[in-house]
Amino acid sequence: MIEYFSKVFRGAWATVAGMMVTLKYMVKPSVTVHYPTEKLVPFERFRGALLFDPGTCISCNLCVKACPSTCITLENATIPDPKNPAIKKKVAKVDWYTIDFGKCNFCRLCEESCPTKPKSVWHSLDYEVVFFSRDEMVRCWKAGTKFVGQYWDRKEKAFKDPEGQIQIQDVQARR
Amino acid sequence: MNKGAMAPDQEQDTPLKSDSMFINLGPQHPSTHGVLRVGLTIDGEMITKAVPDVGYLHRGTSKLAEVRGYHHCVVLTDRWDYVSAMPNNLVFCLAAERLMGLNVPPRGDVLRVLMCELNRIASHLLFFGTYGIDIGAFTPFLYAFREREMILDLFEMVSGARLTYNYIRLGGVMVDVTDEWVAKCREFIEYFKPRLDEYDTLLTYNPIFMARTEKVGLIPPQTAVNWGLSGPNLRGSGVNYDVRKADPYCGYEQYDFEIPLGKTGSCWDRYFCRVSEMRQSVRIVLQALDKLAPGPVMAPGVAKVPKPQPGEAYAHVEGARGDLGIFLVSDGQASPYRMHVKAPSFMNLAILQELLVGNKVSDVIAILGSTDIVLGEVDR
Ligand code: SF4
Ligand code: SF4
Repeated sequence: MIEYFSKVFRGAWATVAGMMVTLKYMVKPSVTVHYPTEKLVPFERFRGALLFDPGTCISCNLCVKACPSTCITLENATIPDPKNPAIKKKVAKVDWYTIDFGKCNFCRLCEESCPTKPKSVWHSLDYEVVFFSRDEMVRCWKAGTKFVGQYWDRKEKAFKDPEGQIQIQDVQARR
Repeated sequence: MNKGAMAPDQEQDTPLKSDSMFINLGPQHPSTHGVLRVGLTIDGEMITKAVPDVGYLHRGTSKLAEVRGYHHCVVLTDRWDYVSAMPNNLVFCLAAERLMGLNVPPRGDVLRVLMCELNRIASHLLFFGTYGIDIGAFTPFLYAFREREMILDLFEMVSGARLTYNYIRLGGVMVDVTDEWVAKCREFIEYFKPRLDEYDTLLTYNPIFMARTEKVGLIPPQTAVNWGLSGPNLRGSGVNYDVRKADPYCGYEQYDFEIPLGKTGSCWDRYFCRVSEMRQSVRIVLQALDKLAPGPVMAPGVAKVPKPQPGEAYAHVEGARGDLGIFLVSDGQASPYRMHVKAPSFMNLAILQELLVGNKVSDVIAILGSTDIVLGEVDR
Protein backbone atom coordinates (compact mmCIF):
# COMPACT_ATOMS: atom_id res chain seq x y z
CA MET A 1 0.00 0.00 0.00
CA ILE A 2 2.70 2.45 1.01
CA GLU A 3 4.71 1.35 -1.97
CA TYR A 4 1.78 2.02 -4.26
CA PHE A 5 1.33 5.55 -3.00
CA SER A 6 5.02 6.31 -3.06
CA LYS A 7 5.03 5.18 -6.69
CA VAL A 8 2.12 7.49 -7.48
CA PHE A 9 3.84 10.30 -5.66
CA ARG A 10 7.12 9.78 -7.50
CA GLY A 11 5.33 9.71 -10.85
CA ALA A 12 3.46 12.88 -10.04
CA TRP A 13 6.57 14.62 -8.79
CA ALA A 14 8.47 13.73 -11.98
CA THR A 15 5.66 15.29 -14.01
CA VAL A 16 5.76 18.44 -11.91
CA ALA A 17 9.56 18.66 -12.13
CA GLY A 18 9.39 18.19 -15.88
CA MET A 19 6.74 20.86 -16.18
CA MET A 20 8.93 23.26 -14.18
CA VAL A 21 11.68 22.90 -16.78
CA THR A 22 9.19 23.46 -19.56
CA LEU A 23 7.62 26.47 -17.88
CA LYS A 24 11.03 28.04 -17.39
CA TYR A 25 11.46 28.17 -21.14
CA MET A 26 7.98 29.48 -21.81
CA VAL A 27 9.01 32.97 -20.80
CA LYS A 28 12.30 32.90 -22.72
CA PRO A 29 12.45 34.18 -26.32
CA SER A 30 11.78 31.57 -28.96
CA VAL A 31 14.76 29.90 -30.64
CA THR A 32 13.02 29.01 -33.88
CA VAL A 33 12.69 31.02 -37.06
CA HIS A 34 9.50 31.31 -39.08
CA TYR A 35 11.11 29.96 -42.16
CA PRO A 36 9.59 31.20 -45.39
CA THR A 37 9.02 34.70 -44.09
CA GLU A 38 12.15 34.94 -41.98
CA LYS A 39 15.40 33.46 -43.22
CA LEU A 40 18.73 32.80 -41.62
CA VAL A 41 21.87 33.96 -43.33
CA PRO A 42 24.50 31.23 -43.03
CA PHE A 43 28.04 31.87 -41.89
CA GLU A 44 30.61 33.18 -44.30
CA ARG A 45 32.22 29.78 -44.93
CA PHE A 46 28.91 28.08 -45.71
CA ARG A 47 29.02 25.68 -48.63
CA GLY A 48 25.92 26.44 -50.64
CA ALA A 49 25.21 26.11 -54.35
CA LEU A 50 28.22 26.66 -56.57
CA LEU A 51 28.66 29.77 -58.64
CA PHE A 52 31.03 30.13 -61.57
CA ASP A 53 32.60 33.08 -63.34
CA PRO A 54 33.35 32.34 -66.99
CA GLY A 55 35.29 35.60 -67.23
CA THR A 56 38.13 34.69 -64.88
CA CYS A 57 38.40 30.93 -65.45
CA ILE A 58 41.64 29.90 -67.16
CA SER A 59 40.36 26.46 -68.09
CA CYS A 60 43.09 24.63 -66.18
CA ASN A 61 41.06 21.49 -65.37
CA LEU A 62 42.19 21.45 -61.72
CA CYS A 63 38.63 21.58 -60.41
CA VAL A 64 37.68 18.68 -62.67
CA LYS A 65 40.48 16.58 -61.20
CA ALA A 66 39.71 17.64 -57.63
CA CYS A 67 36.05 16.71 -57.78
CA PRO A 68 35.28 13.38 -56.06
CA SER A 69 32.16 12.67 -58.06
CA THR A 70 33.22 13.95 -61.48
CA CYS A 71 30.37 16.38 -61.75
CA ILE A 72 32.33 19.14 -63.49
CA THR A 73 32.99 19.12 -67.21
CA LEU A 74 34.48 21.89 -69.28
CA GLU A 75 35.73 22.62 -72.76
CA ASN A 76 38.58 24.89 -73.75
CA ALA A 77 37.83 27.87 -75.90
CA THR A 78 39.67 27.88 -79.22
CA ILE A 79 40.67 30.49 -81.74
CA PRO A 80 41.70 29.85 -85.36
CA ASP A 81 45.47 29.68 -85.80
CA PRO A 82 46.61 32.91 -87.54
CA LYS A 83 48.92 30.98 -89.87
CA ASN A 84 46.56 28.19 -90.79
CA PRO A 85 42.89 29.03 -90.13
CA ALA A 86 41.86 25.41 -90.48
CA ILE A 87 43.68 24.49 -87.24
CA LYS A 88 42.02 25.55 -83.97
CA LYS A 89 44.32 26.69 -81.17
CA LYS A 90 43.40 26.31 -77.49
CA VAL A 91 43.39 29.41 -75.31
CA ALA A 92 43.21 29.85 -71.55
CA LYS A 93 39.47 30.51 -71.51
CA VAL A 94 36.48 28.23 -71.17
CA ASP A 95 34.12 27.64 -74.01
CA TRP A 96 31.52 26.00 -71.82
CA TYR A 97 31.48 24.71 -68.23
CA THR A 98 28.88 22.53 -66.52
CA ILE A 99 28.28 21.33 -62.99
CA ASP A 100 25.87 18.49 -62.32
CA PHE A 101 24.25 19.35 -59.00
CA GLY A 102 22.64 15.94 -58.95
CA LYS A 103 26.06 14.48 -58.18
CA CYS A 104 27.64 17.35 -56.25
CA ASN A 105 28.75 16.67 -52.67
CA PHE A 106 29.13 20.33 -51.72
CA CYS A 107 32.60 19.51 -50.49
CA ARG A 108 34.59 22.61 -51.47
CA LEU A 109 37.41 20.62 -53.08
CA CYS A 110 36.87 22.38 -56.42
CA GLU A 111 36.92 25.80 -54.82
CA GLU A 112 40.10 24.98 -52.92
CA SER A 113 41.89 23.78 -56.04
CA CYS A 114 40.99 26.78 -58.21
CA PRO A 115 44.17 28.82 -58.82
CA THR A 116 42.61 32.10 -59.99
CA LYS A 117 42.11 35.12 -57.79
CA PRO A 118 39.29 35.68 -57.13
CA LYS A 119 38.15 32.06 -57.37
CA SER A 120 36.38 31.18 -60.59
CA VAL A 121 34.22 28.54 -58.95
CA TRP A 122 33.02 29.08 -55.41
CA HIS A 123 30.29 28.21 -52.94
CA SER A 124 27.57 30.80 -52.48
CA LEU A 125 25.47 31.09 -49.34
CA ASP A 126 22.42 29.80 -51.15
CA TYR A 127 20.86 26.88 -49.30
CA GLU A 128 17.61 26.90 -51.20
CA VAL A 129 18.67 25.23 -54.42
CA VAL A 130 15.54 23.75 -55.93
CA PHE A 131 15.19 21.65 -59.04
CA PHE A 132 11.96 20.76 -60.76
CA SER A 133 13.52 18.38 -63.25
CA ARG A 134 16.77 16.53 -63.86
CA ASP A 135 17.64 18.88 -66.68
CA GLU A 136 17.71 21.71 -64.22
CA MET A 137 20.34 19.98 -62.11
CA VAL A 138 22.95 20.47 -64.78
CA ARG A 139 23.98 24.09 -64.78
CA CYS A 140 25.81 25.41 -67.83
CA TRP A 141 27.95 28.47 -68.21
CA LYS A 142 29.30 30.18 -71.30
CA ALA A 143 31.04 33.48 -71.80
CA GLY A 144 28.61 36.18 -70.77
CA THR A 145 26.35 33.98 -68.60
CA LYS A 146 25.56 35.18 -65.11
CA PHE A 147 27.36 33.57 -62.14
CA VAL A 148 24.35 31.42 -61.33
CA GLY A 149 24.34 29.84 -64.80
CA GLN A 150 21.62 28.44 -67.00
CA TYR A 151 20.15 25.07 -67.70
CA TRP A 152 19.21 23.36 -70.91
CA ASP A 153 15.51 22.68 -71.26
CA ARG A 154 15.26 19.50 -73.27
CA LYS A 155 11.63 19.95 -74.29
CA GLU A 156 11.82 23.53 -75.41
CA LYS A 157 15.39 23.21 -76.71
CA ALA A 158 16.56 26.42 -75.09
CA PHE A 159 18.79 27.62 -72.26
CA LYS A 160 16.80 28.94 -69.36
CA ASP A 161 17.52 30.80 -66.14
CA PRO A 162 17.02 28.70 -63.04
CA GLU A 163 13.89 29.51 -61.10
CA GLY A 164 13.38 29.58 -57.40
CA GLN A 165 16.93 30.60 -56.63
CA ILE A 166 16.96 33.09 -53.79
CA GLN A 167 19.38 35.90 -53.46
CA ILE A 168 20.43 35.07 -49.92
CA GLN A 169 22.43 38.26 -49.58
CA ASP A 170 19.17 40.25 -49.80
CA VAL A 171 17.52 38.30 -47.01
CA GLN A 172 17.16 40.06 -43.71
CA ALA A 173 20.04 39.06 -41.47
CA ARG A 174 19.65 37.51 -38.06
CA ARG A 175 23.25 36.97 -37.16
CA MET B 1 -3.52 -10.13 -8.32
CA ASN B 2 -6.41 -12.05 -9.75
CA LYS B 3 -6.48 -15.54 -8.29
CA GLY B 4 -7.62 -17.16 -11.52
CA ALA B 5 -4.58 -15.95 -13.47
CA MET B 6 -2.07 -18.62 -14.31
CA ALA B 7 1.57 -18.36 -13.56
CA PRO B 8 3.58 -17.41 -16.63
CA ASP B 9 5.24 -20.81 -17.01
CA GLN B 10 1.87 -22.58 -16.96
CA GLU B 11 0.62 -20.24 -19.63
CA GLN B 12 3.21 -21.59 -22.03
CA ASP B 13 2.04 -25.16 -21.59
CA THR B 14 -1.64 -24.68 -22.31
CA PRO B 15 -2.88 -26.68 -25.29
CA LEU B 16 -4.41 -23.46 -26.63
CA LYS B 17 -1.49 -22.30 -28.77
CA SER B 18 -1.98 -19.15 -30.75
CA ASP B 19 -0.78 -19.08 -34.34
CA SER B 20 2.54 -17.41 -34.86
CA MET B 21 2.40 -14.36 -37.00
CA PHE B 22 5.04 -12.67 -39.13
CA ILE B 23 5.20 -8.90 -39.11
CA ASN B 24 7.54 -6.46 -40.78
CA LEU B 25 8.95 -3.66 -38.74
CA GLY B 26 10.10 -1.10 -41.25
CA PRO B 27 11.68 -0.30 -43.62
CA GLN B 28 9.57 2.85 -43.41
CA HIS B 29 8.84 2.68 -39.72
CA PRO B 30 9.63 6.03 -38.12
CA SER B 31 11.27 4.40 -35.11
CA THR B 32 13.85 2.40 -36.99
CA HIS B 33 16.00 5.51 -37.45
CA GLY B 34 16.55 5.03 -41.12
CA VAL B 35 15.69 2.23 -43.44
CA LEU B 36 15.95 -0.96 -41.45
CA ARG B 37 13.56 -3.86 -41.80
CA VAL B 38 13.18 -6.32 -38.96
CA GLY B 39 11.19 -9.44 -39.74
CA LEU B 40 9.49 -10.43 -36.50
CA THR B 41 7.80 -13.74 -35.87
CA ILE B 42 5.48 -13.29 -32.94
CA ASP B 43 3.45 -15.63 -30.86
CA GLY B 44 0.78 -13.50 -29.32
CA GLU B 45 2.76 -10.68 -27.79
CA MET B 46 6.02 -12.61 -27.56
CA ILE B 47 8.72 -12.43 -30.17
CA THR B 48 10.01 -15.84 -31.16
CA LYS B 49 12.31 -14.82 -33.98
CA ALA B 50 13.78 -11.57 -35.22
CA VAL B 51 15.66 -11.16 -38.48
CA PRO B 52 17.17 -7.76 -39.17
CA ASP B 53 17.34 -7.09 -42.89
CA VAL B 54 19.85 -4.49 -43.96
CA GLY B 55 21.11 -3.09 -47.23
CA TYR B 56 18.52 -0.48 -48.10
CA LEU B 57 21.08 2.29 -47.84
CA HIS B 58 23.99 0.49 -49.47
CA ARG B 59 26.05 2.87 -51.56
CA GLY B 60 29.14 0.76 -52.06
CA THR B 61 31.61 3.25 -50.66
CA SER B 62 34.26 0.59 -50.03
CA LYS B 63 34.22 -0.30 -53.72
CA LEU B 64 33.94 3.34 -54.77
CA ALA B 65 37.10 4.14 -52.81
CA GLU B 66 39.05 1.82 -55.10
CA VAL B 67 38.61 4.23 -57.99
CA ARG B 68 38.88 7.49 -56.06
CA GLY B 69 41.92 9.39 -54.87
CA TYR B 70 42.78 9.59 -51.18
CA HIS B 71 41.52 13.15 -50.86
CA HIS B 72 38.27 12.14 -52.50
CA CYS B 73 37.76 9.27 -50.08
CA VAL B 74 37.46 11.67 -47.16
CA VAL B 75 34.32 13.01 -48.83
CA LEU B 76 32.97 9.47 -49.10
CA THR B 77 33.57 8.79 -45.41
CA ASP B 78 31.23 11.63 -44.47
CA ARG B 79 28.36 9.53 -45.73
CA TRP B 80 28.71 6.53 -43.43
CA ASP B 81 27.66 7.79 -40.06
CA TYR B 82 26.11 11.04 -41.11
CA VAL B 83 25.12 11.89 -37.55
CA SER B 84 28.73 12.07 -36.45
CA ALA B 85 30.89 12.51 -39.53
CA MET B 86 33.99 13.90 -37.83
CA PRO B 87 35.22 10.54 -36.44
CA ASN B 88 34.64 9.04 -39.89
CA ASN B 89 36.87 11.66 -41.50
CA LEU B 90 39.38 11.13 -38.73
CA VAL B 91 39.65 7.37 -38.99
CA PHE B 92 40.27 7.44 -42.72
CA CYS B 93 42.85 10.17 -42.34
CA LEU B 94 44.62 8.28 -39.56
CA ALA B 95 44.89 5.15 -41.69
CA ALA B 96 46.01 7.06 -44.78
CA GLU B 97 48.52 9.10 -42.79
CA ARG B 98 49.98 5.89 -41.44
CA LEU B 99 50.45 4.72 -45.04
CA MET B 100 52.02 7.99 -46.13
CA GLY B 101 54.04 8.63 -42.98
CA LEU B 102 52.55 12.06 -42.37
CA ASN B 103 52.84 13.69 -38.96
CA VAL B 104 50.03 15.97 -37.89
CA PRO B 105 51.11 19.18 -36.11
CA PRO B 106 50.00 19.49 -32.45
CA ARG B 107 47.36 22.13 -33.09
CA GLY B 108 45.88 19.95 -35.79
CA ASP B 109 45.62 17.07 -33.32
CA VAL B 110 43.94 19.23 -30.68
CA LEU B 111 41.43 20.50 -33.24
CA ARG B 112 40.68 16.94 -34.29
CA VAL B 113 39.97 15.92 -30.71
CA LEU B 114 37.89 19.04 -30.18
CA MET B 115 35.73 18.43 -33.24
CA CYS B 116 35.27 14.73 -32.54
CA GLU B 117 34.14 15.39 -28.99
CA LEU B 118 31.74 18.13 -30.08
CA ASN B 119 30.41 15.71 -32.64
CA ARG B 120 30.01 13.04 -29.98
CA ILE B 121 27.89 15.44 -27.95
CA ALA B 122 25.80 16.27 -31.02
CA SER B 123 25.33 12.61 -31.83
CA HIS B 124 24.39 11.62 -28.27
CA LEU B 125 21.98 14.55 -28.17
CA LEU B 126 20.27 13.15 -31.22
CA PHE B 127 20.08 9.78 -29.51
CA PHE B 128 18.74 11.35 -26.32
CA GLY B 129 16.02 13.18 -28.24
CA THR B 130 14.93 10.36 -30.50
CA TYR B 131 15.06 7.76 -27.75
CA GLY B 132 12.68 9.93 -25.79
CA ILE B 133 10.33 9.91 -28.76
CA ASP B 134 10.63 6.15 -29.08
CA ILE B 135 9.55 5.76 -25.48
CA GLY B 136 6.83 8.35 -25.87
CA ALA B 137 8.32 11.53 -24.43
CA PHE B 138 8.37 14.26 -27.02
CA THR B 139 9.59 17.25 -25.01
CA PRO B 140 13.25 16.20 -24.49
CA PHE B 141 13.60 15.95 -28.26
CA LEU B 142 12.97 19.66 -28.68
CA TYR B 143 15.50 20.58 -26.02
CA ALA B 144 18.09 18.20 -27.43
CA PHE B 145 17.74 19.64 -30.90
CA ARG B 146 18.03 23.17 -29.62
CA GLU B 147 21.47 22.37 -28.22
CA ARG B 148 22.45 20.22 -31.18
CA GLU B 149 21.69 23.14 -33.45
CA MET B 150 24.27 25.22 -31.60
CA ILE B 151 26.95 22.59 -32.18
CA LEU B 152 26.00 22.37 -35.84
CA ASP B 153 26.29 26.15 -36.01
CA LEU B 154 29.81 25.86 -34.63
CA PHE B 155 30.63 23.30 -37.31
CA GLU B 156 29.04 25.42 -40.00
CA MET B 157 31.12 28.36 -38.90
CA VAL B 158 34.39 26.48 -39.21
CA SER B 159 33.82 23.99 -42.02
CA GLY B 160 30.85 25.33 -43.94
CA ALA B 161 28.64 22.26 -43.64
CA ARG B 162 26.24 21.04 -41.01
CA LEU B 163 26.41 17.28 -41.52
CA THR B 164 29.00 16.24 -44.09
CA TYR B 165 31.94 18.26 -42.89
CA ASN B 166 34.95 17.08 -44.89
CA TYR B 167 36.85 19.02 -42.24
CA ILE B 168 39.53 16.60 -41.11
CA ARG B 169 41.88 16.18 -44.05
CA LEU B 170 44.97 14.15 -44.77
CA GLY B 171 47.75 15.72 -42.73
CA GLY B 172 45.65 17.95 -40.52
CA VAL B 173 42.41 19.84 -40.70
CA MET B 174 40.85 22.03 -43.37
CA VAL B 175 41.29 25.44 -41.75
CA ASP B 176 42.24 26.88 -38.41
CA VAL B 177 39.56 28.10 -36.02
CA THR B 178 39.26 31.78 -35.24
CA ASP B 179 39.31 33.39 -31.80
CA GLU B 180 35.67 34.23 -32.32
CA TRP B 181 34.94 30.53 -32.79
CA VAL B 182 36.81 29.59 -29.62
CA ALA B 183 34.85 32.20 -27.66
CA LYS B 184 31.61 30.90 -29.10
CA CYS B 185 32.54 27.33 -28.25
CA ARG B 186 33.28 28.25 -24.63
CA GLU B 187 29.99 30.09 -24.48
CA PHE B 188 28.21 27.01 -25.72
CA ILE B 189 29.87 24.75 -23.16
CA GLU B 190 28.90 27.12 -20.37
CA TYR B 191 25.35 27.08 -21.66
CA PHE B 192 25.33 23.33 -22.12
CA LYS B 193 26.55 22.16 -18.70
CA PRO B 194 23.41 23.06 -16.72
CA ARG B 195 21.23 21.69 -19.54
CA LEU B 196 22.51 18.20 -18.77
CA ASP B 197 20.91 18.35 -15.34
CA GLU B 198 17.64 19.35 -16.95
CA TYR B 199 17.85 16.29 -19.17
CA ASP B 200 18.16 14.15 -16.07
CA THR B 201 15.00 15.72 -14.68
CA LEU B 202 13.12 15.37 -17.93
CA LEU B 203 14.05 11.86 -18.87
CA THR B 204 16.86 10.02 -17.09
CA TYR B 205 15.25 9.71 -13.67
CA ASN B 206 11.67 9.91 -14.84
CA PRO B 207 9.89 6.90 -13.23
CA ILE B 208 7.88 6.14 -16.35
CA PHE B 209 10.96 6.16 -18.54
CA MET B 210 12.88 4.06 -16.02
CA ALA B 211 10.08 1.53 -15.75
CA ARG B 212 10.07 1.04 -19.50
CA THR B 213 13.81 0.68 -19.93
CA GLU B 214 15.36 -0.52 -16.68
CA LYS B 215 14.80 -4.27 -16.90
CA VAL B 216 14.46 -4.52 -20.65
CA GLY B 217 16.94 -5.74 -23.23
CA LEU B 218 19.55 -7.07 -20.84
CA ILE B 219 22.91 -7.84 -22.44
CA PRO B 220 25.25 -9.78 -20.13
CA PRO B 221 28.91 -8.77 -20.48
CA GLN B 222 29.88 -12.10 -22.02
CA THR B 223 27.18 -11.88 -24.68
CA ALA B 224 28.19 -8.34 -25.49
CA VAL B 225 31.79 -9.39 -26.05
CA ASN B 226 30.74 -12.46 -28.04
CA TRP B 227 28.71 -10.37 -30.46
CA GLY B 228 31.56 -7.89 -30.82
CA LEU B 229 29.67 -4.89 -29.52
CA SER B 230 31.53 -1.69 -28.94
CA GLY B 231 30.91 1.81 -27.74
CA PRO B 232 28.22 2.64 -25.18
CA ASN B 233 26.44 -0.62 -25.96
CA LEU B 234 29.41 -2.57 -24.66
CA ARG B 235 30.11 -0.24 -21.77
CA GLY B 236 26.47 -0.35 -20.76
CA SER B 237 27.11 -4.01 -19.90
CA GLY B 238 29.99 -2.99 -17.67
CA VAL B 239 32.88 -3.95 -19.95
CA ASN B 240 35.51 -1.26 -19.71
CA TYR B 241 36.75 -0.87 -23.25
CA ASP B 242 37.19 2.47 -24.95
CA VAL B 243 39.61 3.00 -27.82
CA ARG B 244 40.45 6.43 -26.44
CA LYS B 245 41.95 4.72 -23.38
CA ALA B 246 42.90 1.34 -24.79
CA ASP B 247 44.71 2.56 -27.90
CA PRO B 248 44.99 6.36 -27.68
CA TYR B 249 45.17 8.36 -30.88
CA CYS B 250 45.52 12.11 -31.51
CA GLY B 251 46.97 12.54 -28.04
CA TYR B 252 43.95 11.31 -26.06
CA GLU B 253 46.31 10.06 -23.37
CA GLN B 254 46.92 13.68 -22.34
CA TYR B 255 43.29 14.33 -21.55
CA ASP B 256 41.71 13.67 -18.21
CA PHE B 257 38.38 11.92 -18.49
CA GLU B 258 36.52 8.88 -17.24
CA ILE B 259 34.76 6.06 -18.99
CA PRO B 260 31.19 5.76 -17.71
CA LEU B 261 30.11 2.16 -17.23
CA GLY B 262 26.71 0.56 -16.81
CA LYS B 263 25.88 -2.24 -14.40
CA THR B 264 23.33 -4.62 -15.85
CA GLY B 265 23.41 -3.95 -19.58
CA SER B 266 19.79 -2.87 -19.74
CA CYS B 267 18.39 -0.24 -22.09
CA TRP B 268 18.58 2.29 -19.31
CA ASP B 269 22.25 1.55 -18.68
CA ARG B 270 23.10 2.06 -22.31
CA TYR B 271 21.13 5.29 -22.28
CA PHE B 272 22.81 6.42 -19.09
CA CYS B 273 26.27 5.67 -20.50
CA ARG B 274 25.60 8.04 -23.37
CA VAL B 275 24.28 10.81 -21.17
CA SER B 276 27.31 10.45 -18.88
CA GLU B 277 29.59 10.43 -21.90
CA MET B 278 28.29 13.86 -22.82
CA ARG B 279 29.52 15.14 -19.47
CA GLN B 280 32.93 13.61 -20.11
CA SER B 281 33.02 15.07 -23.62
CA VAL B 282 32.34 18.49 -22.14
CA ARG B 283 35.40 18.00 -19.95
CA ILE B 284 37.54 16.99 -22.92
CA VAL B 285 36.33 19.94 -24.99
CA LEU B 286 37.28 22.36 -22.23
CA GLN B 287 40.72 20.79 -21.89
CA ALA B 288 41.22 20.87 -25.66
CA LEU B 289 40.28 24.55 -25.79
CA ASP B 290 42.90 25.27 -23.14
CA LYS B 291 45.47 23.26 -25.07
CA LEU B 292 45.05 25.22 -28.31
CA ALA B 293 48.51 26.71 -28.84
CA PRO B 294 49.21 28.73 -31.97
CA GLY B 295 50.85 26.81 -34.76
CA PRO B 296 50.17 25.20 -38.11
CA VAL B 297 47.14 22.93 -38.49
CA MET B 298 48.30 21.11 -41.59
CA ALA B 299 51.39 18.97 -42.11
CA PRO B 300 53.67 20.40 -44.82
CA GLY B 301 54.06 18.65 -48.13
CA VAL B 302 50.79 16.78 -48.47
CA ALA B 303 50.68 15.71 -52.10
CA LYS B 304 47.79 16.81 -54.30
CA VAL B 305 47.52 13.27 -55.62
CA PRO B 306 49.07 11.07 -52.91
CA LYS B 307 50.54 7.76 -54.00
CA PRO B 308 51.64 6.01 -50.82
CA GLN B 309 54.15 3.18 -50.78
CA PRO B 310 52.60 -0.27 -51.15
CA GLY B 311 51.54 -1.51 -47.75
CA GLU B 312 48.72 -1.89 -45.28
CA ALA B 313 47.47 0.22 -42.42
CA TYR B 314 44.79 -0.17 -39.81
CA ALA B 315 43.45 2.64 -37.68
CA HIS B 316 40.54 2.73 -35.29
CA VAL B 317 38.89 5.45 -33.27
CA GLU B 318 36.14 5.64 -30.71
CA GLY B 319 33.32 7.10 -32.74
CA ALA B 320 30.03 8.09 -31.18
CA ARG B 321 28.72 4.57 -31.82
CA GLY B 322 31.76 2.54 -30.96
CA ASP B 323 35.02 1.21 -32.26
CA LEU B 324 35.20 2.43 -35.86
CA GLY B 325 38.08 0.92 -37.80
CA ILE B 326 39.52 1.16 -41.28
CA PHE B 327 41.83 -1.25 -43.02
CA LEU B 328 43.55 0.33 -45.97
CA VAL B 329 45.74 -1.43 -48.52
CA SER B 330 47.82 0.53 -50.97
CA ASP B 331 49.49 -0.81 -54.09
CA GLY B 332 51.33 2.41 -54.85
CA GLN B 333 48.59 3.82 -57.07
CA ALA B 334 46.61 7.01 -56.58
CA SER B 335 43.61 5.18 -55.13
CA PRO B 336 43.50 2.60 -52.33
CA TYR B 337 43.72 -1.01 -53.44
CA ARG B 338 41.21 -2.00 -50.80
CA MET B 339 39.36 -0.19 -48.08
CA HIS B 340 37.56 -2.16 -45.42
CA VAL B 341 35.38 -0.48 -42.85
CA LYS B 342 34.69 -2.05 -39.49
CA ALA B 343 31.48 -0.27 -38.65
CA PRO B 344 30.27 -0.42 -35.04
CA SER B 345 26.61 0.05 -35.97
CA PHE B 346 26.62 -3.11 -38.05
CA MET B 347 27.82 -5.20 -35.13
CA ASN B 348 25.52 -3.49 -32.68
CA LEU B 349 22.65 -4.28 -35.00
CA ALA B 350 23.50 -7.96 -35.29
CA ILE B 351 22.78 -8.63 -31.62
CA LEU B 352 19.12 -7.77 -32.18
CA GLN B 353 18.54 -11.34 -33.41
CA GLU B 354 19.28 -12.64 -29.97
CA LEU B 355 18.19 -9.68 -27.91
CA LEU B 356 14.67 -9.29 -29.25
CA VAL B 357 13.65 -12.94 -28.80
CA GLY B 358 11.49 -13.43 -25.74
CA ASN B 359 10.53 -9.80 -25.45
CA LYS B 360 7.16 -8.18 -25.97
CA VAL B 361 6.37 -6.33 -29.18
CA SER B 362 6.09 -3.07 -27.30
CA ASP B 363 9.67 -3.43 -26.09
CA VAL B 364 11.11 -3.80 -29.58
CA ILE B 365 11.31 -0.08 -30.14
CA ALA B 366 12.83 0.50 -26.72
CA ILE B 367 15.56 -2.04 -27.42
CA LEU B 368 16.15 -0.98 -31.00
CA GLY B 369 16.39 2.66 -30.00
CA SER B 370 18.81 1.90 -27.19
CA THR B 371 21.36 0.34 -29.56
CA ASP B 372 21.57 3.70 -31.36
CA ILE B 373 22.35 2.50 -34.85
CA VAL B 374 22.78 4.68 -37.90
CA LEU B 375 21.79 2.89 -41.05
CA GLY B 376 24.20 4.85 -43.20
CA GLU B 377 26.99 3.18 -41.30
CA VAL B 378 25.39 -0.27 -41.26
CA ASP B 379 25.06 -0.42 -45.03
CA ARG B 380 27.83 1.94 -46.14
S1 SF4 C 1 31.68 20.85 -54.36
FE1 SF4 C 1 32.81 18.89 -54.49
S2 SF4 C 1 31.39 17.52 -55.56
FE2 SF4 C 1 30.64 19.59 -55.92
S3 SF4 C 1 31.57 20.23 -57.84
FE3 SF4 C 1 32.94 20.93 -56.21
S4 SF4 C 1 34.44 19.28 -55.96
FE4 SF4 C 1 32.71 18.43 -57.13
S1 SF4 D 1 37.20 27.00 -62.39
FE1 SF4 D 1 39.27 27.35 -61.56
S2 SF4 D 1 40.12 25.31 -61.33
FE2 SF4 D 1 38.34 25.10 -62.68
S3 SF4 D 1 39.19 25.25 -64.75
FE3 SF4 D 1 38.55 27.31 -64.15
S4 SF4 D 1 40.38 28.25 -63.28
FE4 SF4 D 1 40.76 26.03 -63.33
